[in-house]
Amino acid sequence: MPTAVLLDSSLSMTRPVSVEGSEEFQRKNLAVHGLTMLFEHMATNYRLEFTSLVSFSSLWEVLVPFTRDYNTLQEALNNLEDYDKTCLEAALQGVSNIVQQEWGTSCPCQVVLVTDGALGIGRGSLRHSLQTVKQRVEDKKFPLPFPFPSKLYVMCIANAEELQATDSMDNLEQLINLNGGEGQIYTMEGPLCLKSVQSMFGKLIDQAYSPFHAVLRCGNLTSDVQVFPRPEPVTIDEEVDPMPRTVQTDLEIVGFIEIGDISSPPVLSRHLVLPIAVNKEGDEIGTGATDDTEEETSTNQMAGKSPNFCVLLHGSLKVEGMVALVQLGPDWFGMLYSQADSKKKSNLMMSLFEPGSEPLPWLGRISQLGPASDAAENPYGEDDSKSPFPIQPKHKRSYAQNVTVWIKASGLQTDVQKILRNARKLPEKTQTFYKELNRLRKAALAFGFWELLKSMAELLERECTLLSDSAHPDAAFQLSHAAQQLKLASSGDSKYAAYEHNITPMLTDFSGGGGADRI
Amino acid sequence: MRIFSVSHKTAFVVDHCPYMAESSRQLIECDMLTKSRSQGVIPLAPVSKSLWTCAIECSMEYCRILYDVYPTKKLVNYIVSDSEVHILNSWKQENQNTQELMTALAAVGPPNPRQDPECCSVLHGLVAAVESLCKITEYQHESRTTLMDTADRVANRGRIICLTNAKSDTHVRMLEDCVLETIQEQNKRAAGSDRLMPIQQCELVLVHIYPQGEETLVSDRQKKELSSVLSSEVHSVRAGRYLAGKLNVLVQQHFDLASTTITNIPMKEEQHANTSANYDVELLHHRDAHIEFIKSAQPSFHCMNGLKETVTLKWCTPRTNSVELHYCTGAYRISPVDVNSRPSSCLTNFLLNGRSVLLEQPRKSGSKVISHMLSSHGGEIFLHVLNSTRSTLEDPPSISEGCGGRVTDYRITDFGEFMRENRLTPFPESMVDAACRTPVERAKFQLERHTRYWPMIISQTTIFNMQAVVPLANLIVKDTLTDEDVLTCQKTVYNLVDMERKSDPLPISTAGSRGKGPKRDEQYRIMWNELETLVKAHVGTSERHQRVLDCISACRSKPPEEEERKKRGRKREDKEDKTEKNGKDTEEKGWTTDSERLKGVMEREKDEQSECEIIKDSPDSPEPLNKKPRLATEEQQPPEKSKGPVSLLTLWTNRITQANSRKHQEFAGRLSSVNSKAELYQHLKEENGMDVHENGKATR
Repeated sequence: MPTAVLLDSSLSMTRPVSVEGSEEFQRKNLAVHGLTMLFEHMATNYRLEFTSLVSFSSLWEVLVPFTRDYNTLQEALNNLEDYDKTCLEAALQGVSNIVQQEWGTSCPCQVVLVTDGALGIGRGSLRHSLQTVKQRVEDKKFPLPFPFPSKLYVMCIANAEELQATDSMDNLEQLINLNGGEGQIYTMEGPLCLKSVQSMFGKLIDQAYSPFHAVLRCGNLTSDVQVFPRPEPVTIDEEVDPMPRTVQTDLEIVGFIEIGDISSPPVLSRHLVLPIAVNKEGDEIGTGATDDTEEETSTNQMAGKSPNFCVLLHGSLKVEGMVALVQLGPDWFGMLYSQADSKKKSNLMMSLFEPGSEPLPWLGRISQLGPASDAAENPYGEDDSKSPFPIQPKHKRSYAQNVTVWIKASGLQTDVQKILRNARKLPEKTQTFYKELNRLRKAALAFGFWELLKSMAELLERECTLLSDSAHPDAAFQLSHAAQQLKLASSGDSKYAAYEHNITPMLTDFSGGGGADRI
Repeated sequence: MRIFSVSHKTAFVVDHCPYMAESSRQLIECDMLTKSRSQGVIPLAPVSKSLWTCAIECSMEYCRILYDVYPTKKLVNYIVSDSEVHILNSWKQENQNTQELMTALAAVGPPNPRQDPECCSVLHGLVAAVESLCKITEYQHESRTTLMDTADRVANRGRIICLTNAKSDTHVRMLEDCVLETIQEQNKRAAGSDRLMPIQQCELVLVHIYPQGEETLVSDRQKKELSSVLSSEVHSVRAGRYLAGKLNVLVQQHFDLASTTITNIPMKEEQHANTSANYDVELLHHRDAHIEFIKSAQPSFHCMNGLKETVTLKWCTPRTNSVELHYCTGAYRISPVDVNSRPSSCLTNFLLNGRSVLLEQPRKSGSKVISHMLSSHGGEIFLHVLNSTRSTLEDPPSISEGCGGRVTDYRITDFGEFMRENRLTPFPESMVDAACRTPVERAKFQLERHTRYWPMIISQTTIFNMQAVVPLANLIVKDTLTDEDVLTCQKTVYNLVDMERKSDPLPISTAGSRGKGPKRDEQYRIMWNELETLVKAHVGTSERHQRVLDCISACRSKPPEEEERKKRGRKREDKEDKTEKNGKDTEEKGWTTDSERLKGVMEREKDEQSECEIIKDSPDSPEPLNKKPRLATEEQQPPEKSKGPVSLLTLWTNRITQANSRKHQEFAGRLSSVNSKAELYQHLKEENGMDVHENGKATR
């Protein structure tokens, strides 16, 4: 989940903070301090997150495009310039554009807006933007809600009282509401100082950037893992069961399925599953008197060398071309598989299915999946040539069952011609002739299209008169028999017009065994 | 779409009154004479469908699309109205298919033009439709029972689509009023019943059908709220293709559908099999398959014949049949608009035969963007939405860089085998085992059993590297054993005893053991211990599992005096270690740091060494470095045997020797050597020379 940091660089950010101490801070310095703390946290605990830094005043500018290089971000923070007034709408539109350009509209994104809460005056101010939000034309729409799933975090370098004194707080709240309630406003508690800005960003980190740690389990084999990006709570069917579902920290493997059987299932999100070493103090590290960084590297080295279940699982999934079905919570499942990138580096990946008992129609209900060894007969066959998947639905779809549709005249004409073509090849085509005839008959009866039955009967009778002298004598019998049966059906007489009734070939001396046998 | 939205229940009311037997006046030529046969033959008069036939086939088409895209949870109740009401099916899921409706419609037949028009009315049908909407569906029932306290969250909404031929706008208003009144009446009744639910929201869609070439008597009207419960809209449509078009638009609106046209499908020409032309096929599916286009308003959206919006995607001829796991963000069932046209059926048959087709966005410039895929699963075709934007997970650290990434002898093949044994398969709903466990719980239980003792790396295990143990290892994890199984296990044990008697070498790992590799009897002791660990983990499963353990305990070699000797030996070692430590403590500081430094060197050496121990099984392992056997310095007397006061030099050399010996697998010859002298070609002496490989695991 990438992060876009939107930093207010308007003149008001340079206002000094009144502190008793000797050092004098600007609000900007506090903002930079908070962001530095955020970037440091990400660099150590969340380093796969892509972050971009955008500064804005009446204009906006991408200082750092999306990157994982937190040094560059930090550097940009140290070289900020000050500009004119605050103009939030344009900046939000800018963020919306750069996110869409980079990640499209389906990737969830976090937007961290850092401002002093002085949201501009007159045209271009947030107040003005919000007042006119309903009077927009199609191409000048307010950028919120963002077209991508998003969280908007507003970090105010101001305390709540200050914001409530003006309408800033109301406006910011309105902003969050416009984003579908997705987001939160953070304000500083107590005097504006380094300590309170730290505590404010600390809250943001806890809320949005705490790493997700879990235990991956396959029976008694386990591994401590970090799941990245953090799986967010999911709400399905808001109407009946609006409780958000969260991924539990115990990821339990249920069993295994071939990649071909799971066959590119739709997923809500994808996550890296990274094994982590849980540091048991002094347990594994031999030498004691080393400084922190060395200890870290040696811990990492030790961790690299002690066998980890994730690596074993990944290797086998890759070699066998399989996925592991994993339970994420009650009635919620996902899959683990090996994912290789273009550089041939591969990794263990977890995809989340939609919550529910039957996320993939071709697997059926997950609770009904059990060990293949429990089945009376090996469902995969003795030589692995079979598969119990995909599950066949009870009814075939229309395109798989040769339905009759006569909405376009061509559909009807094709069906009539098909019968006539076969009629001319009687008795060889007796079977197909009657099959097509019965298909037409059934549809005509269902649609109440008796006129067609009469016309078809006439066509067959005429076909009979057009038979050449060399024609098989059986052809004439079959054609007149079929024509007569159609006429009877068109009378609506329940004896002949029953839907389930089929016209069967007439038994003639000529057809003898041969013709009838083919049916 | 929420499950209990208006679209959960659709009641079709089709007018079956005598005037519906009237011709639509759309003529269809069904006598298409071929040129060669046309001489002297008078073609038959064209046929024309009645208003009834038009209404039926268009409503069936509506249902066909609906059932293709939503096989469950979107229900239709089909009602035919003349002098009485014919209800052709129920809300039950099992009744939801077109075949059943077609059978029922055939039984009703076309309207009887001679029936008394006075007693016929579509009103009967509308009343029945309202009554039917009050009836609870199995989904509503299930949801209400599971929710218990919050059962009132389950809503009851529905839609009535009425296909009729109205007399005038006043007639239409009369029909609307009647529906509204009936709803109010029925809601009162429903409030007091368990099997009925009051209607919270109802959409009435009145479609007035009139013959071609006539002026309409009823005017179109947009959706209008008649009350808080009922909204109504009126469509006045000519019979024939106009009606078909209208119902196609309605089904898309009602069920959030959108259209995709697959273009550039190469197809062999019917007449000339060696030429191929490109065709287009239009598909309907849930709108969300276009979510990316809708949100970003991309230009690939464009209009066809002014009315319909469709997204055009280009066919990419599949090159391989390889199975690949695509990153897919959604999969939606499709229904072809023109189901039995030749291009449509060619496309659907191609897909039903198991091929997948990637779809590309048509772009004038820039790189190719594959955004969708068509694929069938179990006879159902799905439009998969593929992620076509930059991934936030690009360039992840490789698994070999993380925890456990440097370990190179994972039992990859064995775990692969384990996964195959733990593959899943669907079981019928009713199948619950004796302990009332669902199949998925049984699957977890099986995984638990199979992993009670499962060493992850080859050097951690002896028994799993031995072919001879396989029969026992496969059986012991089972939930129940037969007497025959126990016998097989016992045979395995006897076989091992036999091997020990013959002193067959074991595929034992020397890593981590002290001194040079363990002696043969020590190897067997390790093997027996491991086997015991495995069986002990399952001993609680059944009495028969216990019998296997008993067999091992009875058979394994444990000469008591030898054990005793070993214990003493170990004690002595401990003591030595202690003296060493004491010595260290008493030494001056400089010595300690020196030793730390040396230790560090040793550690580093060890690191380098372990990189050399590579088993190619693990695909992500770095390739092994050129393995050069490191010979330990002068072969000394084994440290265990040195007695009396030891010099610092001896102490130190011993440590180095020990450390070095851990770094490589000892030569088999040296292992069994006496005073560093090994006898060559020993096996020639043995009369029953057994193939050594038989005991080691066959190489794969």
